[in-house]
Amino acid sequence: MATTTDDAFAPPEHAWQPVSPRLATARRMVTGLVMGPVLAALVVGAVVVPAGRTWLALAALGWLVLMAWAWWLIGRRVRSFGFAERDDDLLVTSGIMFRRLVIVPYGRMQLVDIRAGPIDRWLGVVTVQLHTAAATTDATIPGLRPDEAADLRDRLAARGETRSAGL
Amino acid sequence: MIGTERSRTHPITPVLSAGRSLAWLVPLLLVATPEELDAYRPLVMLVVGGLWLAVSIAWGYLAWSHTDFGIDGAGDLRVDSGVLSRQERRVVLSRLQGVEVATPLLGRVFGMAELRIEVAGGRDSHVSLKYLTQERAQEVRAELLALAAGVGRDAGEAPEVVLVTVPTGDLVLSLLMRSETVLLLAVSIAVVATTVATEELSALGLLLITGGLPLISVFGEFSRFFGFSLAESPDGLRMGGGLVGVTRQTVPPGRVQAVELAEPLLWRRRGWVRVNLNVAGGQQEGEQGRVGQVLLPVAPRAQAVAILSRILPGVDVEGLVFDPAPAAARRRAWLQWRQLGVAVDSGVLATRRGWITRRTALVPHARTQSVTVVQGPWQRRLGLATMQVDTTPGPVAVAALHRGSAQARRMAEEQLARAAQARLGVPERWLSGAAEPPTGREPSSDGRLP
Repeated sequence: MATTTDDAFAPPEHAWQPVSPRLATARRMVTGLVMGPVLAALVVGAVVVPAGRTWLALAALGWLVLMAWAWWLIGRRVRSFGFAERDDDLLVTSGIMFRRLVIVPYGRMQLVDIRAGPIDRWLGVVTVQLHTAAATTDATIPGLRPDEAADLRDRLAARGETRSAGL
Repeated sequence: MIGTERSRTHPITPVLSAGRSLAWLVPLLLVATPEELDAYRPLVMLVVGGLWLAVSIAWGYLAWSHTDFGIDGAGDLRVDSGVLSRQERRVVLSRLQGVEVATPLLGRVFGMAELRIEVAGGRDSHVSLKYLTQERAQEVRAELLALAAGVGRDAGEAPEVVLVTVPTGDLVLSLLMRSETVLLLAVSIAVVATTVATEELSALGLLLITGGLPLISVFGEFSRFFGFSLAESPDGLRMGGGLVGVTRQTVPPGRVQAVELAEPLLWRRRGWVRVNLNVAGGQQEGEQGRVGQVLLPVAPRAQAVAILSRILPGVDVEGLVFDPAPAAARRRAWLQWRQLGVAVDSGVLATRRGWITRRTALVPHARTQSVTVVQGPWQRRLGLATMQVDTTPGPVAVAALHRGSAQARRMAEEQLARAAQARLGVPERWLSGAAEPPTGREPSSDGRLP
């Protein structure tokens, strides 16, 4: 059972199952909705107020760079999510700077949540979250298609039932 | 005996509940009475206080008359309550995690106690029966525990053997020697010294914080753990104490999810330790160090180790061989790296960490909920990672800090294998000897109606 690898975050067999790239779209839209109006305000300001044109234009440019960076970061972050189902447990990994790997035995699952915000629903991505009796178990898989998520939940529930082990 | 027929809490309940609210009402009235009414203050207080009491007693009476409890056909506890919206709670006793008998000051005067029943679950996972006479609270506790244990409900109170009583002198001294207390007291002395030297009085305000905080925390813990004792009975561990209000918690066998030996710097010379506990369902937000999370507020290490070997049979804490963290850990944790270590034996995984307070945490393999490996940027440069065993919420965290990156993953996988192996034979009803067949309905510890 013990895999021997050099890397603490190596996938169990072949590769991690990735999450949908549509998650990146959803997150970029949210970021755009928050950051976009600020950019628009700066640009309008630069056009309307001649006195502060240089500084406002510079600020707008800086903000644009920040937005581009956020765009790129979201892509990386979404690609960093991965999960794998093994016979007895589920593995979830995430993070770029702070990497994280959670391994949850099916028998320990207390409940499985499926969540989706308004933009997520519109784009057809949902978040699946596993809960155990421990509050520190953070096994969250964002960016699954709704049908995929429902299948995963049913598989997890079925496996949890046959391996149930109290507390 | 609770019996199959429904019974009620004691009729004095509404009066006691209303009486407790006076504790904040009286000071509020003293402050809030307008200046113009100053001459009539006693009258105002009498009228408002009296009205308040009358209304809250009337409401309390309604609530009391709409609350009853009993054992249902399936042998589980059912508590029905609610005046406007009804709530029926069924406590699955095989999932019982702990029973607490709490006697607040006012309850003590009238010989009344509150019974709190903990089951595993997220928020709001406890059921409270208040108030019962003290004898009745004990009776109900004995019966619930007998049912949960899987023996006859009229087995009576299980005999208990007192294992440890904490001497008051040790308690006071140990609280004064806690690192936070000592630090803040040292700051207070420095403040006084500067004030005397410079004759500048403005710094004295600081004393309220530096001197007040330790005073509050020391007194709080003192009043909670005064006369603390730990006893063992077939129903589990019984622990508690208290100066003003007395709380006794019973934790059935096998409910202990993780334990920790905490040794603050100044305690080590005396060989003292505190033993903390994680118990499923025993957590309440923002109540650190409450009864039920502390197995022993202060004890000689040898005594604590002996107790631990009773709670976790077959575990020899002193015999654990800790594998130190790799040399690279020194560059990440330059103060505590010497203390870092992990040990595994047939029953538990143990981790050690901490510089000012050394913490040795133990988790039985069967209580592993999940395993997490984390790595920050600085750890990655050094080829390190942290492996943590997730257990139920509580004061104990089991984390093997700064292991070699590959080793952290290997340890995680091995721990899961050990956990799966160990879970094969853990019975839910601890005296019946047989494991419950899995029902597939895991989280239904409280069957609330929709």
